[in-house]
Amino acid sequence: MFRHRIIPVLLLDKSGLYKTQRFLNPRYIGDPINAIRIFNDKEVDELAFLDIGATIDNRNPNLAVLKDIASECFMPLSFGGGIRNVEMIREILNVGVEKVVINTAAVERPRLISESAQLFGSSTIVISIDVKRNHFGKPLVHIRGGRERTRLNPVDWAVEAERLGAGEVLINSIDQDGMMQGYDWMLIKSVSDAVSIPVVAAGGARGIIDFARAIKDYEVSAVAAGSCFVFQGKHRAVLITYPTRMELETALY
Amino acid sequence: MIDILDFNKDRNDVLRRILPKIPYQICTRTVMDTTDPAITFNDEGVCNHVLDYEDYLKNSKPDPERAKHLMKQMVSNLRKDGKGKDYDCIIGLSGGVDSSYLTWYVSQKLGLRPLVVHVDAGWNNEIAVSNIQNIVQKLKLDLHTVVLDWEVVKDLQVAYFKSSLANIDIPQDHAFISCLYNEARKYKIRNIINGNNMSTESILPSTWGYDASDSIQIKSIHKKFGSKPLTDYPLMNPYQRFIFYPRILKLRTYSPLEWIDYRKQEAKDFMIRELGWKDYGGKHYESKFTRFFQAHYLPEKFGYDKRKAHLSSLIVSGQMTREEALLELKLPLYLESELNEDRDYFIKKLGITHKEYESIMHLPVRSYSEFPNSEDLINKARKLYRPFKLLINLIKK
Amino acid sequence: MTTIVDYGMGNLGSIQSMLKKLGETSIITSDPYVIEQASRLILPGVGSFDSGMNHLTELNLISSLNKRVVQDKVPILGICLGFQLMTKSSMEGTLTGLSWFDAYTVKFELKESIKKYVLPNMGWRKVSIRKEIPLFEGLDDDSWFYFVHNFHAVTDNIELVSMTSEYGYEFVASLTKDNILGVQFHPEKSHKYGLRLLQNFIRYY
Repeated sequence: MFRHRIIPVLLLDKSGLYKTQRFLNPRYIGDPINAIRIFNDKEVDELAFLDIGATIDNRNPNLAVLKDIASECFMPLSFGGGIRNVEMIREILNVGVEKVVINTAAVERPRLISESAQLFGSSTIVISIDVKRNHFGKPLVHIRGGRERTRLNPVDWAVEAERLGAGEVLINSIDQDGMMQGYDWMLIKSVSDAVSIPVVAAGGARGIIDFARAIKDYEVSAVAAGSCFVFQGKHRAVLITYPTRMELETALY
Repeated sequence: MIDILDFNKDRNDVLRRILPKIPYQICTRTVMDTTDPAITFNDEGVCNHVLDYEDYLKNSKPDPERAKHLMKQMVSNLRKDGKGKDYDCIIGLSGGVDSSYLTWYVSQKLGLRPLVVHVDAGWNNEIAVSNIQNIVQKLKLDLHTVVLDWEVVKDLQVAYFKSSLANIDIPQDHAFISCLYNEARKYKIRNIINGNNMSTESILPSTWGYDASDSIQIKSIHKKFGSKPLTDYPLMNPYQRFIFYPRILKLRTYSPLEWIDYRKQEAKDFMIRELGWKDYGGKHYESKFTRFFQAHYLPEKFGYDKRKAHLSSLIVSGQMTREEALLELKLPLYLESELNEDRDYFIKKLGITHKEYESIMHLPVRSYSEFPNSEDLINKARKLYRPFKLLINLIKK
Repeated sequence: MTTIVDYGMGNLGSIQSMLKKLGETSIITSDPYVIEQASRLILPGVGSFDSGMNHLTELNLISSLNKRVVQDKVPILGICLGFQLMTKSSMEGTLTGLSWFDAYTVKFELKESIKKYVLPNMGWRKVSIRKEIPLFEGLDDDSWFYFVHNFHAVTDNIELVSMTSEYGYEFVASLTKDNILGVQFHPEKSHKYGLRLLQNFIRYY
């Protein structure tokens, strides 16, 4: 039986968890170790941690914190943020992380993708693509945590990443991030149609309603979300939640 | 009042140091025993806690008529204060049995409109989180969470751990209270409802605990053992505690579980059935920290098993027999595998090494009175007050 | 005590974490001598077939493993690539495998159908238990495991097949023969199901 992955994405800065809106205004969510513990107890499919400060600060990933986090996780864990070379990838994988998520570094040096895929296997390399639409609605790839715009078209870049050996593509809408108004459907569709490696939709999900649409109508392999797993109710109170197996099966299958 | 405090403090210290080996004795009615160094027994072997409870029943506990009246009064006060506003009261919800049942009772039975507040100190158990979710979603209540800065809490918890005091849960407990009051102030809600109840909490020896609202002690422990600034920690100072909140903001607290026939097991069964509530085992085990604290730290380093207090409370309120309590006490506090896991987690979270942990656990036990605390302040005030009063009298003459 | 073979490929930390949770001590080693003393082995692995065989060769581990596993019949659990290395060869590479199973490793052949089957097969899949062995005690056809792979084992010898799963078609999820156990999925990433399987491995083998 087939099951699509529902992946909470948590943003890490120094040693705290945060959540953003449109990649801005980070709001403190709490201690990452306890959060992972709770997600683990909830038996989530997979978790992704992105260090949002790393590339900007030109920092190396905090391996000690990552090790603490990884040892709490009995499901697949992806980590990204400021990953620049194969040495870093090796260190991160050794600490107990399944997959590394590369964003800026892959755009600046695409060979990194093929080098790391060769060394560690495609399935450990996830290329994350952050997309913002310009005034005319044209989607453009952004790097450095959304701060820098490139001329790249996300579909072309996703196809190229696949060609170079990426195992998975995480397609993230900056405009929709944290807004809880649904994914950028056109974006998801265009990328999903263009590649034949797993595509993970991200940015804007409200919950099961959007997961169901992404999976059923747009045939993505997996869906990712942040806000809907950490905020509850009209005051956006911080509370970790995850749909039950029953809720997911009813909505998705 | 001071005299009694002095007496207790001296007596506890004396008992702990000069008479370390008190012959073991257990209460004939409850399961409280001489691990409470201040315990006394009457001729029938019944301990002072039982006598205090019976005194409460006779003199303080409201009879059903009066209880009903107090409840009605509370409801009408709250409705009045809440008129035209979004909420008429504020409730702290931890996901534990008391606060969960209270939330249900206040919103469904009494029809009030609470703002539900949860304070996240970084140790939430998944079951507690799930309980909170189910309660606010099923009862359609508004939730507000206060997430404490974990680095600050961690630093303070490590400081307390290093101090070798019994009450290393104070950083959490103090924050729970101060944040709730702060939220009340923020949302301009005057009425705070808490789940305090004599039905399950009547017995708790003062020797096993210390006042979590004492900010002076917190500051002194932090000064001595802490390393990060305390600015982001929600400290409630004596001025706020005694004057600002109660007298200027006129915040009122109510404990309605006191006025109903609150039975813990029935409350649990009800919530499991109707609200998808899950039981997490022992009292206050909704926090991973508290579980380790009560089931290992206290018994191992101080010799207190808080279960004795919790179970004794249930015995005196007729919810459990002494035999049942004795049987339960025979069960280990921890299975070895659970203990190892929780201890590893405790060590990991606090960012200390196994070695540091062991050496701190082996440090000699210390008492709250060894560090500056609010009692000192009160004593100093009294000392000043006496000559001051004399002066006034002289002037009057 | 369980010995985890470190040949430079694979997520060893996660396996150790899960064993720790089960109360089992483990050591991670690439020393042939230590492996020859092992009483229980785990051969993990993530990456390509030839890369795996090359690393094992360079570290001089093949003869030690053969001795301990084939000769001394010490229990060994192969995970993902570790399991594939136990077959005779793989379409992914040119080298010969450990050949402990009379089986081969082939690439998924997925036809275009209504459902888009992308590679790798990555995610949670249900399994079908084909052999009632102690390794699977407490698990059933409602158990889910985490898979991530492009290649899978095939064999003519039905008796080796202890578990299958489905992705476009039914494929081998586990082969076992006495003390040699191989699973395509990652128990260390499969929550309570993985915990149960590893617990069984420790308890019964």
